Amino acid sequence: MATVAGALKQTRLGISGRVGGWIFYGVPLVAFLVLILPRLFLNPGFFLQILVFGVTDGAVLALIALGYTMVYGIIELINFAHGDIFTLGGFIGVLIFSLIGIVPGKDLNLGFLTLFVVIGVMAVTMAINGGINVLIERVAYRPLRHQPRLAPLITAVGMSFILEGLMFIWKGPNFIQSPDLLPGGHFTVLAANVDYRSIVLIAAALVLVVLLTLFIERTKLGKAMRATAQDRDAAQLMGIDINRTISATFFIGAALAAAGGILYGFYLHNFRFDTGFITGLFAFTAAVLGGIGNIRGAALGALLIGLIRAFNDGYGRSEWSDVLIFAILVYVLVFRPTGLLGMQVPEK
Amino acid sequence: MTRLKGLRPVAVVFAASLAAAACGGSSGGSSSTADKGEIHIGVEMPLSGTESTQGQPILKGVQYAAQRAGKVKGFTIKVIPFDDAVNGVHDPQKGAQNVQAMVGDTKLLGFVGPLNSNVAKTEIPIAADANLTMISPANTGVCLTKDNADSRFPYDAGCGGLAKQLRKSNPNNYFRVVTTDDYQGPAMADYFLQVLKIQKVGVASDNQTYGKGIADAFTAEFKAKGGQVVGPRNDYDQNTTDFKPFLTAAKNAGAQGIYVGGTTGTKVCQVRAQMNGIFDATTPFGGGDGIVQDGECVGQAGAMAPNVFASIAAVDPVHVPSAKSVIDGYKKAYPDPADYTAYSIVATDAGGILINAISKAIDDNGGNMPKRDGVRKAAASTKNYQGALGSTSFDANGDTSVKIISIYKYDSADPKKANDEPWVGQENFGEDKPTVKTS
Repeated sequence: MATVAGALKQTRLGISGRVGGWIFYGVPLVAFLVLILPRLFLNPGFFLQILVFGVTDGAVLALIALGYTMVYGIIELINFAHGDIFTLGGFIGVLIFSLIGIVPGKDLNLGFLTLFVVIGVMAVTMAINGGINVLIERVAYRPLRHQPRLAPLITAVGMSFILEGLMFIWKGPNFIQSPDLLPGGHFTVLAANVDYRSIVLIAAALVLVVLLTLFIERTKLGKAMRATAQDRDAAQLMGIDINRTISATFFIGAALAAAGGILYGFYLHNFRFDTGFITGLFAFTAAVLGGIGNIRGAALGALLIGLIRAFNDGYGRSEWSDVLIFAILVYVLVFRPTGLLGMQVPEK
Repeated sequence: MTRLKGLRPVAVVFAASLAAAACGGSSGGSSSTADKGEIHIGVEMPLSGTESTQGQPILKGVQYAAQRAGKVKGFTIKVIPFDDAVNGVHDPQKGAQNVQAMVGDTKLLGFVGPLNSNVAKTEIPIAADANLTMISPANTGVCLTKDNADSRFPYDAGCGGLAKQLRKSNPNNYFRVVTTDDYQGPAMADYFLQVLKIQKVGVASDNQTYGKGIADAFTAEFKAKGGQVVGPRNDYDQNTTDFKPFLTAAKNAGAQGIYVGGTTGTKVCQVRAQMNGIFDATTPFGGGDGIVQDGECVGQAGAMAPNVFASIAAVDPVHVPSAKSVIDGYKKAYPDPADYTAYSIVATDAGGILINAISKAIDDNGGNMPKRDGVRKAAASTKNYQGALGSTSFDANGDTSVKIISIYKYDSADPKKANDEPWVGQENFGEDKPTVKTS
């Protein structure tokens, strides 16, 4: 075993230099050039269409992955309840839409006003969902902050089941319908029909990610978050309110997940109490793939997962999608244990 | 005149047998007036909770069969209900307890039930040990009677010898008057080809035994009859949420329709919903009984719900000519519309066949109270029983010779109207050359 481990270590070392970098990126690149690219020339329209689907799915996934990566980055907790926070956001969104008379199947035809209604509802939902997540952190994670790492991990699993159970009691076992306020219609490029809805969705996710990045890099609270992530004790010595900073992280993560939930509902129309469990696992995978704790990494990882699934469903057989996604995850982690863009976690 | 005189006794016998046939076929309904006591038959169904809307009408169907039979060879038939619902849902363990209770009742010679195939799995072994005859009006799971799908439409039903395991060394005691799921895919394939005139389809499934099975059988039949399955076959798992890549690929390959094996719970109707924008709303979509008459499915499919076709491994009695008199009689006996379902009429045949077998067993036992094994043997030899479903015989596995698959079509996007989904055709795989009938 020792020799195997040694050999593996050597391989890693060998592959981490400049030549290693070439090999690391070269193998997937060759696979892409051989397997995928020829299809582009065979039928560019179809290729483009699949590309758009992949990016759209990746964009929604990214909004969830960001919450995982932020929380892990700051307190090294894999927040298993985050996937369910995403579902909860969608549920709350549907509730608020129905309160103002927007229910699935009924076209209110608000015209230009739709944009403001969506942004308004989204803001309210994000605030409520963020508040709930802050509460969860206060109740289930904060008291355990100085306990062994396993304790908050298990309470996170517990919170996940509690949330799923509550949503099950609230809405029952069936899929619930979400209204769809994305614009209809499409434009045609290279014989591919690109839906406006996909474009709007990708744009919305992009705007949120850019806003988040600006917030973390440019604001005082963002600076506090980075400082807390880097070294909690030092940050505290510098007068940063750690509790407030961590609460803010949970708030933002859940707010993004809520936006993701609403957009997911618009795009795919249905979810139920356990939708977030699986979706959350994939979002977590995306975060690890990109480099946990790394905002851009999470977005990149989510995009990759969306693309792999879309291309495999479009060109291959769907049951291979998970095999491919996780094979790539193993490949990346074996040779780049810190993920594609590198981890950003507290220093010990 | 003398000749007529000579013919008279024959005519009387003929008329009597006609009357007997009208009485659900129980041969010799009231030939004996002596009171020999009671014979019990059970009805094992979910009689409370959500499934009671199916279980209760079945109970009434059997009661109607007993009422039509009247006194059988001097014995009074008493129908005894058993409820297998626990907290409102059918429960295999409760079903097993019910069968044990039935075995303990020495006057009980057989029962009609259960409703659900997974309940049948726990009940068959107990009933088989006691030679207790079971006739199900609703189980369509392939593996309860057969080791694999019909060899004409082969696919791996994943039975693993279940039918044999359930019966151990006992002779078969389990019969059913509905056919099995393995004909659902082929029926829809024939419907697509013959009625909708579609030559190219895209096929997907939820990759589970039932869903993949009916999708495989659909594919086999569709290809065998000259159709083309185009695009990538999509056996998705529970992690898949976006079906648009698959649908676009199918559309790109020229698909004129989509068939998906699975249930509402495994997202089949979401595949339909996502066809919006890729296919026209008029593009047909086919599935099995996992999505039939289901408001939940209609809700998920939304505006795309119309033109969804779904099959069911049972007959729609309204479209079986021989069922008319039974339906009329039943409705007179139970005028409440909630009591009338397709299964209530099917149940009159299940009950009728059981009573018929009891009557035959009484004869075989010299007019005395028959043994359970006698009833079982008589049921197994059921041949051309004339009832609501037409002419029913059982094969060696206990399966019916009437192998009718009915096809329904959603034509409204209103989930509340899902139960009124119109019947659009049926196919009887018990015939030599099965074809789709649309009227």
